[in-house]
Amino acid sequence: MATPVIMPRQGQSVESCIIAKWYKKKGDKVQPGDILFTYETDKATFDEEAKIGGTLLELFFEEGDDVPCLVNVCVIGNEGESVDEFNPNAGQPGQEEDKKDSAEVKKEYEGEEVPDLNTGAVPNGDRELKISPRARNMAQRAGVDYRLAGGTGPQGRIIERDIVYLRENGPVLTSAARNEYMNTEGVQLPSGTGLGGRITTADLSAPAHAAAGAPVRSSEARPDYEEVKLTNIRKVIAKAMHHSISSTCQLTLNTSFDATEILAYRKKLKEGRDRLKLENITLNDIILYTVSRTILRHRDLNAHFLDDRMLYFNNVNLGVAVDTERGLMVPTVFNANLKSLNEISSEVKRIAEECQKGTVNPDLLKGGSFTITNLGTMDIESFTPVLNAPQTGILGINTIIQRAREVKGEYVYYPAMGLSLTFDHRALDGAPAARFLQDLKAGLENFSILLAK
Amino acid sequence: MPKSQFIDPSEVRKSGKIIFKDIPVNQYEKTIDQEKENFSTEDFLRIYRDMAVIREFETMLNAIKTTNEYNGIQYNHPGPAHLSTGQEASSVGQAYLLDKDDYIFGSHRSHGEILAKGLSAIEKLSDKELLEIMESFFDGAILRVVEGKQKNKGSVKELAIDFLVYGTLAEIFARETGFHKGLGGSMHAFFTPFGIYPNNAIVGGSADISVGAALYKKVNRKKGIVIANIGDASMGCGPVWEALCMAAMDQYKLLWEGEHKGGLPFILNFFNNQYGMGGQTTGETMGYNMLARVGAGVNPEQMHSERIDGYNPLAVIDAIKRKKKILEEKNGPVMLDTLTYRTTGHSPSDASSYRSKEEIELWAGNDSLEEYMNKLIKAGVAAKEEFDAIGENVRELMTKVCKLAVDDSVSPRMDLMKRPDSISGLMFSNQRVEKMEDRECDVLISKEENPRVQQIKKKIRVGIENGKPVSKNRVYQFRDAVFEAMLDKFYTDPTLIAYGEENRDWGGAFAVYRGLTEALPYHRLFNSPISEAAIVGSAVGYALCGGRVVVELMYCDFLGRAGDEIFNQLSKWQSMSAGVLKMPAVVRVSVGSKYGAQHSQDWTSLCAHIPGLKVVFPVTPYDAKGLMNSALMGTDPVIFFESQRLYDIGEMFHSEGVPEGYYEIPIGEPDIKKQGSDITILTIGATLYTAMNAAKILEEKYGMSAEVIDARSIVPFNYEKVIESVKKTGRIVLSSDACERGSHLKDIAQNISEMAFDHLDAPPVVVGAKNWITPAHELEEHFFPQPEWIIDAIHEKIVPLKGHTAKNNFTVNEQMRISKAGI
Repeated sequence: MATPVIMPRQGQSVESCIIAKWYKKKGDKVQPGDILFTYETDKATFDEEAKIGGTLLELFFEEGDDVPCLVNVCVIGNEGESVDEFNPNAGQPGQEEDKKDSAEVKKEYEGEEVPDLNTGAVPNGDRELKISPRARNMAQRAGVDYRLAGGTGPQGRIIERDIVYLRENGPVLTSAARNEYMNTEGVQLPSGTGLGGRITTADLSAPAHAAAGAPVRSSEARPDYEEVKLTNIRKVIAKAMHHSISSTCQLTLNTSFDATEILAYRKKLKEGRDRLKLENITLNDIILYTVSRTILRHRDLNAHFLDDRMLYFNNVNLGVAVDTERGLMVPTVFNANLKSLNEISSEVKRIAEECQKGTVNPDLLKGGSFTITNLGTMDIESFTPVLNAPQTGILGINTIIQRAREVKGEYVYYPAMGLSLTFDHRALDGAPAARFLQDLKAGLENFSILLAK
Repeated sequence: MPKSQFIDPSEVRKSGKIIFKDIPVNQYEKTIDQEKENFSTEDFLRIYRDMAVIREFETMLNAIKTTNEYNGIQYNHPGPAHLSTGQEASSVGQAYLLDKDDYIFGSHRSHGEILAKGLSAIEKLSDKELLEIMESFFDGAILRVVEGKQKNKGSVKELAIDFLVYGTLAEIFARETGFHKGLGGSMHAFFTPFGIYPNNAIVGGSADISVGAALYKKVNRKKGIVIANIGDASMGCGPVWEALCMAAMDQYKLLWEGEHKGGLPFILNFFNNQYGMGGQTTGETMGYNMLARVGAGVNPEQMHSERIDGYNPLAVIDAIKRKKKILEEKNGPVMLDTLTYRTTGHSPSDASSYRSKEEIELWAGNDSLEEYMNKLIKAGVAAKEEFDAIGENVRELMTKVCKLAVDDSVSPRMDLMKRPDSISGLMFSNQRVEKMEDRECDVLISKEENPRVQQIKKKIRVGIENGKPVSKNRVYQFRDAVFEAMLDKFYTDPTLIAYGEENRDWGGAFAVYRGLTEALPYHRLFNSPISEAAIVGSAVGYALCGGRVVVELMYCDFLGRAGDEIFNQLSKWQSMSAGVLKMPAVVRVSVGSKYGAQHSQDWTSLCAHIPGLKVVFPVTPYDAKGLMNSALMGTDPVIFFESQRLYDIGEMFHSEGVPEGYYEIPIGEPDIKKQGSDITILTIGATLYTAMNAAKILEEKYGMSAEVIDARSIVPFNYEKVIESVKKTGRIVLSSDACERGSHLKDIAQNISEMAFDHLDAPPVVVGAKNWITPAHELEEHFFPQPEWIIDAIHEKIVPLKGHTAKNNFTVNEQMRISKAGI
C-alpha cells in the first residue's frame, strides 16, 4: 500500500524544515532504516529514515525546498501504485497548505470511529484545546505533546485513545488542525532568540563542515572561487548576528581575575572525582555556576530588552555557546541558579554532545536569559562577544595568562583569567555592568566562600 | 384479614344506630378535706413544691430569654425556650402516680413534664437506685458537676433533684454536661432512667412514637404504661390520627392471644392549652369544640375519653389513677383532654397579638399554684409561711443550678475543634447485637415445620445451572432470601416484631412473608392500619425502647406519607440522644413498577440525603440475604430498598448460590458484578440488569469491555472499589431508575470527579429516569434507563463508538434545554 512520508516536526516551535539532501531518488528501492533525506531546522540537521520498505514512488520536494511540517514529502509503495492522492502540491500549485491534507492523514482507529477533524470535531473559532485529565496525564508520562493529538472524544476532546495513537503512530493532524495548533500556541519564528558570540571563529574554523549538507552548484566555467549555498543554520546565524549588531548598542568591558583558587579547587575535584562520583568539572562549569549565583543581583543583565519594556527573569537560564560542525549552537541550561555545580556540569556536557550529534531538542535552543561563550580554550586573550539579542548581556571567557603583581615589594606571578562582558547600553549603563564584573570576579577569586553560600 | 373473622352481610347491612356514651367534662369535684384520705400533708406540699420548681424554672428561662439575666446571673440563650408557665398543675398531676417504668413522651413545650416526671420518679426510687442511675449516666459526668459545688451534701434525693434540674437546664443551654450532651436542647430534652422519653419538636411527633413504646411494653411484657403528651393543635396532624388508629386496633382485643390479648397500655394525652401557636383550636382552627369529643369516634370504648381540669393537680391525679386502672385491666387505650393555659407566649418572642390582655389576666388570676395553695391553707393543711419557705428553697435551687449551667468551666460545650468527631461519632451506633434481649422467642412452630422452609428446601439456590437460567418455579428467589434472613432472626431475637400493610395472612403484598403467619403469634407479626406515618413512627418508638423491629412500606411512593417519621425521627434520635438511644429498626421499602406515576418511583436519593440513616438496595438474592442479616444484626436504622421487578429473580452472579446458613454482607460495600477494562458502569437498584445488558452489547458490538459495579449500599458507601475501577477504565456511567435530577448518583459522580479527576477520560455521566411522571407500563421503556440509553450516553459524552448512531439525545445542548425547561 502506498504510504506517504511526512516532514516530521522537531520541537514545538518548528513550522517547516528545509530538505538538505536526498539520499534516494524516485524509483529507488528502499529498506526500513535507509536514510531517505536529511532536513534542517534553523537549529539542527536530522536524518529521516524509511520506516517501511518498498519503492520510492514519488518525491514531492527538491533539495533546498522549505517544507511545512507534517506535509507529505515522498511516497513509498509498490511500483505502479498511484501517488496522486498524497501529492500536497496537487490542485493548487504554489500553495503549500493543501486542503486535501485532511483526507490524507485522517485515520481510523481500530474499532472506534474518528470524527472528521475538519467538520466540527475541532470547531473553528473555538481555540480552546479540550483534553481529558487522563489523556493529559498519559501524554505527560509518555513525553508526547498532546497538542499534536487529534481529538476524537465528544466535542473534539482529546481522550486517552488519541494519546495512545499519537504515541504509537505520530501526529494525525490535518493542516487545518495544525494551523489551529499553531495559532493556539502563538508561536513566532524564533529569530530573536538566535545566536551570539564567535561568528568569525566559527566561520573560519569550519566552513567546509558547515556546508557539508548543502548541495553544491557546479559551474562549467570553474571560476577561482567556490560558490556555496548557505546552510539554513548559516542563514539564521547571519540574520541573528546582523540583527544584533544593527539593532542594539553593544559594547564590551574587559577584566581579569586571579584564577588561583578555582584552579586549586578544580584540581582537588579532579583528584577526588571517582571517589566522589562527580562529573569532570571544568573551569567553564565553575564560571557558569558563579554567574548563576551572581547575576540575579544584577537583574538588568538577566533580562531581555524589548524596545519599550524589559523582561526580568526570576531564574537564570544560561545560554552556552557550543561550536559544532554545523555551526554555532547555543543550548540553554534552564534554572541554572537552582542547580548544583555538578548538575550544571553534567547538563552542559549532555546538551553540548546532543548539539554535536544534531539530536538536541530545538526547544533547548531558545529561552536563554544570559549567554556565556568560551574562546579561552583557543588561547584568545580578549574579544567582543556579540549579544544574543534580545538578551542584554553575554560573557566571553578568555584564556589564562600569567601576570605579575607586587606583593611585599616582590613581583609575584599569578594566573589571570580574562572576562569580556558585552552588554546592551540601551538596557543598562557602564557602571552597573562593571559592578557585575566586579561581583563576578570576587565570587571567582573566593570561590570556596561562594560555594558555602 | 383473618379468615376467623366473618363478615356477614345480613349483620353489617342491618339498620340501627350508633349510640355514644357521655364524655365526662371536668367532673372532678372533691374537696381538700375529702382528699385528705388519699394524700398526707407531705404529699400535698410536695405537689406544691413540684409545681413551684416548674414555675421557677420557666420564670428563670423567661428572664434569661427576655432580659439576659436571672437573679444577678447574666446569660444569653439564643436557642428555643417554649415555656409552660401556667401549665404546672397538669404535668405535676399527671406525673404524681407514675414511676420510672411508666414512660412519657412529650412535645416542644415539655420542660414542666420532664421536671414533674423526674421529681415523681426521684420520690419513688430508693437512694441506692438513684445513686446508681446518677453514677452510671455518662459515667457520672453530670453527677460530678452537681456534687462538686455542693458544700453541705444534703440527702440523695436533694442531690437527685439538683441532678434533674441541672441536667435539663444544661441540655437546654447546649452544654456537654446536659442530659444529651447538648445535642437535643430545649425541645428534645429527656432522661430515660426516670421514664422520661423523647420530647419532640415536631407537633404531634410523639403520638405514633409512643404507640410503638406501648407496643414494646405489651409485646415484651414490660411493666408500666406509656403516655404521649401532645398539644391540642396536634389533633390536626395526620400522624396523630394514625397513631390513634394504630393504638386502637381491634386486633389487640380480638385476635392477639394469651397474655397479649387486650388493649395497649397507652394514654394519648392532650395538654390542651387552647392554642396552637396563635391559632385558637376551639372556635378557630379545629371543629371539635371540645377535644375530648374526638375519642368518641375512634372505637366503641370512645378511648375512655374525657376532659379534665388541668389547672387542678388533684383533678389530674384523680384522672390518671382511674385511667391507669383501665390500662392495667387491658382496656386501653385512653385519650385525655387535659385543659390548661399558658400565661407566657408560645415562645418569649410572642407578643400575644392573638389574645386579649384581659384573657391572660383572668387566667393568671386563676393561677393554679395560688389556687392550690389557698385551698390547702383554707383546709388547714399548711400555713402560708410553709409555702413561702418552699418558694424560697426553690429559688435557691434554681439560682444554684443556673449558676452552674452557665459556667463554661464546669459546663463546657462540645469542643468540636479538639474532638471534631464528637457529633459524627454519634450519627450511628454501629453495634452488633444478636438479640436485644436474652429469652425464649415466642413462635408457633419450629423452623423445620414451616411450610415455606420446606418449600424453599426444594429450590435451586443458584439462578443459572449448566449455563441455563433456572425456571422461576424452581429457583430460589429474591423474596426467599429476605424471608430466610428474617425467619432466622425471629428465632434468635425475642424482641423482633414485623408489621405493615398485609404482612400477616397475605404474607406481604409481594409474598416475602409467606410462611411467617404460620410461624409467629399476632404480637410478633401483624397487619397495621394503612397508616405509613404510624407504621414507621411506632417502629421508632419500639426500637428506641430497646426492641428490634422490621416494618414495611408497600411502595416507595408512600415514603412521603411517613416523611417526618423517616426524616426527623428514625434518623435523628440516636444522635440527638448523644448515643443514649439505639435504633435497631429496618424499614423495608419496595420500589414499584408497572403501576404508573404514584407507584413506580425510586426515592433512594431522598433517604440518602438525610443524615443518620443507613440505606441499602440489594438486587440479588445473595446480597439481599447478606444485607438483611447485617441490618438485623445492627443497632442502626436501615432503609432496606427492594425492587418489585426482582422478587422472583434467582442468583445470577454468586456462582456458589445463596448459602443456606447465616452470613453477612457488610453494609457500605459495593460489589463488582462483572469485570471489565474499558468502562465502568455503576448502578443502584434493578438497573444492574439493564447495565449487564448494555455491557453485553458494548462487548459484542463495539469491542468495549465494561466493568459493572452494583452499589448495593448507598449510605454508607465505600468508594475504594469504584475509584480503583475508574483508575483502570478512565470512564464511568452511573445509572439507576431514580429520576436523573437530584439523583444520588449525581452525588456519587461528583465525588468520583474529585477523587479520580486525573484518571478520568471523560466526566462521569449519569443516566437516570426522565424527570417526568412515570407513565404506564407499556411506555416505561421511554422513562426508565434502557441498555441503549447507556450506550448512547457513552457515545455522546464519553467516547464515540464506531458505527453507532445515537437514538436518544444525550448531548450537552439537550441537557441545557431540558434543564432550562425543568424537565
